[in-house]
Amino acid sequence: MPESLTGHLVVPVDDAEDAHATATALQAYAVEKVTAVHVVEKGGGTPDTIPLEQAEQRAEEAFEAFVDVIPGAETEITYHTDVVEGVFDVAADRGATAIAFHPRGGSRLTQFLSGDTALRLITDADRPVIALPDPAEGGM
Amino acid sequence: MSETEQELARDLGFLEAYTIGLGTMIGAGIFVLPSIAAEAAGPAAMVSFALGGVVSLLAALSLSELATGMPKAGGSYYYVNRALGPFFGSIVGWGMWAGLTFASAFYMLGFGQYLLPLLTPHVDILAEMTGIGKTVAALGMAMLLTGVNYYGVKETGDLQNVIVITLVGLILAFLTLGLLSGPTIGEFNPEGWPAVAATVGTVYVSFIGFEVIATSAEEIKNPSRNLPLAMIAAVVTPTILYVGVMFVSTGTIPLDILADSEVPVKIVAEDILPDFASLVPGVSPSLLASIGGTVMILGAVLATVSSANASILSAARVNFAMGRDQILVEWLNEVHDRFRTPYRAITVTGIITLVLIAVGVGIGTLAEVASFMYLVTYTLVHVAVVVLRRANPDAYDPSFRIPSVLYPVVPILGAAGCLGVLVQMSTNMVPYTIAVGSLSVTSPFQLTVVGMIGIVLIGFGIGWYYLYARDRAPAMSLVGDAIAPETTAAADGDDVYRVVVSVANPDTERDLLRKAAASAHAHDGEAEIVAVNVIEVPDQTSLAQDLTFEEERVDRQRQLLEAARDVATDLDVGLRTRAIVGRDAASAVLDVVGEENADQVLLGWTGKRSRREHVLGSTIDPIVGHASCDVTLVKRGPDPDDGEEIMVLAGGGPHAPVAARRAAEYVASTEGASLTLLNIQPPAEEGEDAVEPVEAGEALIEDLIEQADLTETSYETRVIVEEDTQDAILKTAAAYDTICVGATRESAVSQALFGSLPERLGTDLDRTVVVARGSERSPMSMQDALIKRLEG
Repeated sequence: MPESLTGHLVVPVDDAEDAHATATALQAYAVEKVTAVHVVEKGGGTPDTIPLEQAEQRAEEAFEAFVDVIPGAETEITYHTDVVEGVFDVAADRGATAIAFHPRGGSRLTQFLSGDTALRLITDADRPVIALPDPAEGGM
Repeated sequence: MSETEQELARDLGFLEAYTIGLGTMIGAGIFVLPSIAAEAAGPAAMVSFALGGVVSLLAALSLSELATGMPKAGGSYYYVNRALGPFFGSIVGWGMWAGLTFASAFYMLGFGQYLLPLLTPHVDILAEMTGIGKTVAALGMAMLLTGVNYYGVKETGDLQNVIVITLVGLILAFLTLGLLSGPTIGEFNPEGWPAVAATVGTVYVSFIGFEVIATSAEEIKNPSRNLPLAMIAAVVTPTILYVGVMFVSTGTIPLDILADSEVPVKIVAEDILPDFASLVPGVSPSLLASIGGTVMILGAVLATVSSANASILSAARVNFAMGRDQILVEWLNEVHDRFRTPYRAITVTGIITLVLIAVGVGIGTLAEVASFMYLVTYTLVHVAVVVLRRANPDAYDPSFRIPSVLYPVVPILGAAGCLGVLVQMSTNMVPYTIAVGSLSVTSPFQLTVVGMIGIVLIGFGIGWYYLYARDRAPAMSLVGDAIAPETTAAADGDDVYRVVVSVANPDTERDLLRKAAASAHAHDGEAEIVAVNVIEVPDQTSLAQDLTFEEERVDRQRQLLEAARDVATDLDVGLRTRAIVGRDAASAVLDVVGEENADQVLLGWTGKRSRREHVLGSTIDPIVGHASCDVTLVKRGPDPDDGEEIMVLAGGGPHAPVAARRAAEYVASTEGASLTLLNIQPPAEEGEDAVEPVEAGEALIEDLIEQADLTETSYETRVIVEEDTQDAILKTAAAYDTICVGATRESAVSQALFGSLPERLGTDLDRTVVVARGSERSPMSMQDALIKRLEG
């Protein structure tokens, strides 16, 4: 029997606001297991843009917001010089069936400056990637 | 966080840490300062650079100990604030921030000075406006760098290494060729030694870069080895390079020409290189000179940009650390939701840098003010090492310690060195007379411009402390402990067991008093309860004035305390009441706790977490943070139907025995109540040797019973085996009426006051939850310590 697409979803979240939006978008669907992932972006040889302590605090806040909406969700914080790679690593470690994410929109320039994570998430992934629509826009 | 995650989070090895420090150190200093230093002290400025290196090396040793003992973001600011309290914390925090901003402006002007000669031959319009041109270039680059940091455009570690290696190579080549060309030093010390000492202040700006290593301490791998090594190497390498560059420069170019140049390293290179033209066939001496000059310009441009970039980021870290300690508004530390940068802190730093460039205070003054602020910082860093060593708080366990032969020589010499340079650079030994009418005061010295700016900036830090930080930041100085370190926890002055209860809500008052009475009854000998209520009066109104208008609140207070007396009569316990009108409920309660020599303080909690500024509430947070006696926090749940079932979470945290004792006290004084000691264990690992989880749990409970001395109480024990202990606790706890849990962590500065589990129980569970913390030896105030010392 083929594997269920939603057997175990790995869901990247950034800050509390993003985590809340992502969890709200995901809530409407039946999923067996969800792991929220926050990747702390490392400098890899240069000091990070924000102190580690602040980055970890941000992750905690994001997880709290996520678990508020989806109580059973597991969480994992990881550290990587590249956010997208970090998400892939966790998905592989956890044997996720798919990655689900909530695109954050914004202008082309903003997307470009922030590394166009959405595009790379879709094009570089080694497993299915699900883009979650906003509940309002999606007509749910 | 697991160990592998720790490793992932720490991605700076020795080489990276070293190049980060070096990249910041080899900046505008080495390219711009030779002319300023030569003007001030002649060739003897070499000694100034060497002395600056020694002062920095001493600071690096002290900083290494502090940074490995407390690897927290914020560097020197954090250590000083922790050891000496928020007064000095405010001075150093603002001082470092100002220092980094002035340094950034200095780097950028240096950038402008070097960029212009590169452009002027090709752009006619610039040649006519060099003064404005370099300012415009500086402003443009400062804006660009602010933008780069705002958007978090990634600079990779490799790029950093390439920049640093290029610069070091360039300077080494400059030195080699310069030495080969046979420099001759004229009069070595034309201005005298005081000028040499003052020049240390001018050039010190080129040494502040190693601080960046300390501010990144939490990202460094194997910090006990790598951090001190990287710091020392990052100080020694540039010191040698600086002294060499100064030697070659003053030995090659006549002093007056060197002093007038804005691009000293370039003109020196142009002077040296023609001698070597014969070695490069086909290149004329003048072409070689201009190539050399251009290369040095490019090097300078690269160096100034990399220094300024690191400074802007460092400044944001200082802001973050100040915000975390509530010395600064958290607003500034908001992280951008897309770029993951502290964009507000970066913007503010950028704007002030631009203002400093535009104001035109002069590149020398910018450098000196930056030096001044860092010398003040390092003076206090040395003091902080001594204070921490003497106070020796539990959490301070540095993996690198200043070797015993060098302690306390290093901090004492270091602080004296910093102060000596500060005095030299801020004063002129010219008598100065202030005359007001017929009164005149003559001071033996005059303040220099730098001295004045520096003192104003320190004054700003002090003013900030009194107007903002004092009421917000937790006062946590260890100075008192350092003055009288041997004293053990102060013994109670009397034998009376005293429980201070903060009453504020008529609905929960009775329950709190009942619990206090239970503790009081459980103690042999005399015991009493002190019920406190505080009427808070806002800062703007005078205490007396507000009272008359607020009869209603006074009435309420009277009723609360009267009710307390009635309850006490019912419970047959001695009770005194204290009605207080004060600015701040927390400090009023803390005062009572201190005055009364309390053994326990009991507080009610709504079971909600506050957002942002406070963890559990504006009154609870400071009391938990500062009360040295037992602290009990009660969140009240629904009343039990009959036969109150009390449960203690056995295991987890140093305060579990206190929680168990509290529970036993409550059981003893409540009719029909029962006590259960509960422990949750994860299932056994695969394998033969694994201890049975149930047995392990039983052993833990046994241990607890012994520690809490529960011999006179009857109880049940229960061990549950479950994978997710937190979930299991929450599930099981719902079956009891009252849950007692010990605090699991002690730091008042961390996000959770009592630990995340106790707080989660309180917020998530609709039951009575009692969080208990044992007495802690709180840091002594300096005044108390002095008294203790004097009393012998």
